[in-house]
Amino acid sequence: MSLAVPRSAAKFVAGLLLALGLAACSAPGPQFTILSGSENDVLAPMVQEFCASRQATCTVRYQGSLDIALALKPGGDPDADAVWPAASIWIDMYDTARRVKSVKSIAQMPVILGVRRSEAQALGWIGAKVKTKDILGAVESGKLRFLMTSATQSNSGAAAYLAMLAAGIGKPDLIESGDLDKPEVLATVRGLLRGVQRSSGSSGWLADLYREGERTGAKYDAMWNYEAVIKETNDKLIANHQEPLYAIYPEDGVSVGDSPLGFVDRGRGKEVEAFFNDLQAFLLKNETQARIAATGRRVELGRAAPLKADPATNLDPGRPLTVVRPPEPAVIQKALALYQEALRRPSLTALCLDVSGSMQGNGESQLLDAMRFLFTPARTREVLVQWSREDQIIVLPFSDHVLWTATAGGDDAAQADLLGKTLKLRADGGTDFYTCAARALAAMKPFLDREQHLPAIVIMTDGKSQGAMSTFEMPWRSDGHRVPVFGVTFGDSADRSQLDNLATLTGGRVFDGTKSLTQAFRAVRGYN
Amino acid sequence: MAISRRAFGIGLLAASAAGTGGYVYLRQHPEIAGRFGEPKRLFGFAGGEKEGFLANARVRSVLERRFGLILDARRAGSVEMVRERTLLDQKPQFLWPSSSVLVDVARSSGVKISRDQVIFNSPIVLYSWDRIADGLVKAGFAEPAGGPRYTVDLLKVLKAIIAGESWEAIGVSGLFGRARVVSTDPNKSNSGFMFAGLTASLLSGDVIALDSLGKIDGDVATVFRRMGYKPPSSGKLFDDYIAGGAGAQPMIVGYENQLIEWVLQDADRWKRVEANAPSKPVILYPKPTAFSAHPLISVDRSADELIDALISESLLELAWEEHGFRGPLGTIGKARNSLLQSRLIERIDAVLPIPDAPVMLALLDRLSTA
Repeated sequence: MSLAVPRSAAKFVAGLLLALGLAACSAPGPQFTILSGSENDVLAPMVQEFCASRQATCTVRYQGSLDIALALKPGGDPDADAVWPAASIWIDMYDTARRVKSVKSIAQMPVILGVRRSEAQALGWIGAKVKTKDILGAVESGKLRFLMTSATQSNSGAAAYLAMLAAGIGKPDLIESGDLDKPEVLATVRGLLRGVQRSSGSSGWLADLYREGERTGAKYDAMWNYEAVIKETNDKLIANHQEPLYAIYPEDGVSVGDSPLGFVDRGRGKEVEAFFNDLQAFLLKNETQARIAATGRRVELGRAAPLKADPATNLDPGRPLTVVRPPEPAVIQKALALYQEALRRPSLTALCLDVSGSMQGNGESQLLDAMRFLFTPARTREVLVQWSREDQIIVLPFSDHVLWTATAGGDDAAQADLLGKTLKLRADGGTDFYTCAARALAAMKPFLDREQHLPAIVIMTDGKSQGAMSTFEMPWRSDGHRVPVFGVTFGDSADRSQLDNLATLTGGRVFDGTKSLTQAFRAVRGYN
Repeated sequence: MAISRRAFGIGLLAASAAGTGGYVYLRQHPEIAGRFGEPKRLFGFAGGEKEGFLANARVRSVLERRFGLILDARRAGSVEMVRERTLLDQKPQFLWPSSSVLVDVARSSGVKISRDQVIFNSPIVLYSWDRIADGLVKAGFAEPAGGPRYTVDLLKVLKAIIAGESWEAIGVSGLFGRARVVSTDPNKSNSGFMFAGLTASLLSGDVIALDSLGKIDGDVATVFRRMGYKPPSSGKLFDDYIAGGAGAQPMIVGYENQLIEWVLQDADRWKRVEANAPSKPVILYPKPTAFSAHPLISVDRSADELIDALISESLLELAWEEHGFRGPLGTIGKARNSLLQSRLIERIDAVLPIPDAPVMLALLDRLSTA
């Protein structure tokens, strides 16, 4: 008897040593890259936790659903081992060679309208059954404006747009091809989209913009976003003692993203695929699903209990929903083209292009390439960032002064004309983008006063600006804070901090154009 | 010990004969071959509904250890895998669609078939939710079949859909819009393909033939147009149904085995669903229905032995016990699971054959241009 304890202890120690030995001997996991929608950033720590347990190096790269989808087209290269867009329809529409396998939904994310609570109160929506036509009514009477991502660049925007389109058609259960030819439907939807106050290419960034608006005083009314992102936003707003968003689930139907995680077979072997399968199983096991449900996401039947309903914000992931059936892919394509070319609020975009001396050589040729892309309708149409007839484009090349200003509409001939002028540019001289931005604002003024357009100033630069920010800030403030400034950096010597300051001041964003100026300009197009 | 040259020569000859004989024997007996040497890797496409079976560790282990086979099976729609060049150009060694008609379609797409054989059978069913099924029963569209299982008068449901009736009108309250049944894309996946055949036959009053297609193709197209987006694979549609719930997916077309597989994957989850879920999944057996056969097509001779492996008793029993696939003749296996017994109908008598390949292809053409 007296020997029993030491013997079992010895067994335990031996077992422990064996386990430790095995763990030490087990090979580190693979380098693994996931291409994901920005709405999944809250779940990324769970992915990293799994990767750490396997000693694997995991990289999550965030892109919009359309970008992920385009990378899956035959001939495209997603440069990733897994894709995790917001909805599987994007995979199905573009991955025609079926390179993505083992697709499973990780969570369900309805796209709903979050309305500032006091605004919802004023609209009589607290505790009420709200239909999409009520939202339309509020927009038409000028009582409601909202933030929404670009329908052609981001899934949440596409989902909100398709739900509005279906409601506009008057039979919210389904959009069919012929519906998109009816003038009255187009008029209704155009009316709804007039409510777009700001747009973006990313749902996560849009939520940040909403909160930033509380700080800067922009104070937006509402935003279309995923139920879970509205919850995350509310958590932060409430922590800062700011007013939360009240969740509106349109009674006649919402769109739902199914957050599919799928494996991209790049021939990296069995181990990488087995790693993916284990990662997916980890995310789908009950314990992880319970943690995912705690973020406000809806999870599969029987996996975990949904978050409790919150009467103050009306958020209720357990609430049954009527779901708008996604239309056929051909109808979606047609609807998205229609959005970009005819229905969205037209954009008013001023492009400040740096042609200072430091841009000579590679910089100059990359800039001209980017302009060829931006003003060639066939190329922009491929990635759904084409200009529409109603858009206004202002080009202002600058060095230490603005070389010239050209204003044009978005039709094909006007674009060709702008391109012709731009291609003659040659780099020379110093850098002053503050003056360029101020001149851009002045040139935009007549259009701004009509309040038809969604404005943006885009500054592309490779250097540090001379002059002072106040050159732009003062006129921007006296204009009423209406125009956000976006930056596109190029080259190693670009001083990002100056652009960051402008973007923070105005509610814009800075994009890195070092790898590809064309890609950066394309991304900016999703923001106005 | 020294060996004479003669003895060495005889030994060498004997070893070589044994080697050759062994090689020939093993080639003819793949179930033994697996125990020796390198396993053979086979690449091919399989319908999404078989993904769970193919990923099952026990199935993979039997295939590898007993038969020496490792499969790289990618999910693809049953119809697209036998027609789409982008898939066929990847040179799959086997195709595992879900309907016998698709063997003919594969042949007519120029696929060289080494061997084909039906492995499993599974009836086409509708998946819905208890509260919706109760509504359908009250309105006379469905009948309970003892326990939470139902038969549904599919023709009556189809006619209501074609007439544009609302959910409310067919007895289902709380859902907006018009009634619909959603299947997979019939041009890509078999459950949609078979549902198109079944719909056409039901609407025409008999197994549809080429000369009667013109009378009902418009109505079949209406049923499919009402579906909106149709996923390309049955596995994905079923996942959407489970994940989306009654509001998102009130009624879908699927294979009987899909719910069985889902329940068996995690029995505790199923018990939780039965105890707590606001609405519970139910199977509606269409009357009549069609059986989906799952024929394995070996394109490359090296995949012939996969057929023998899959129809071995051990794998067929595993297929029923863990994944709910009925055997080649439509009969269920030996195992009985108490979780499911009250939900399945063991004998299905009212069965319509699927129209033959030329009729089905003509129907698909009309649906894709509708």
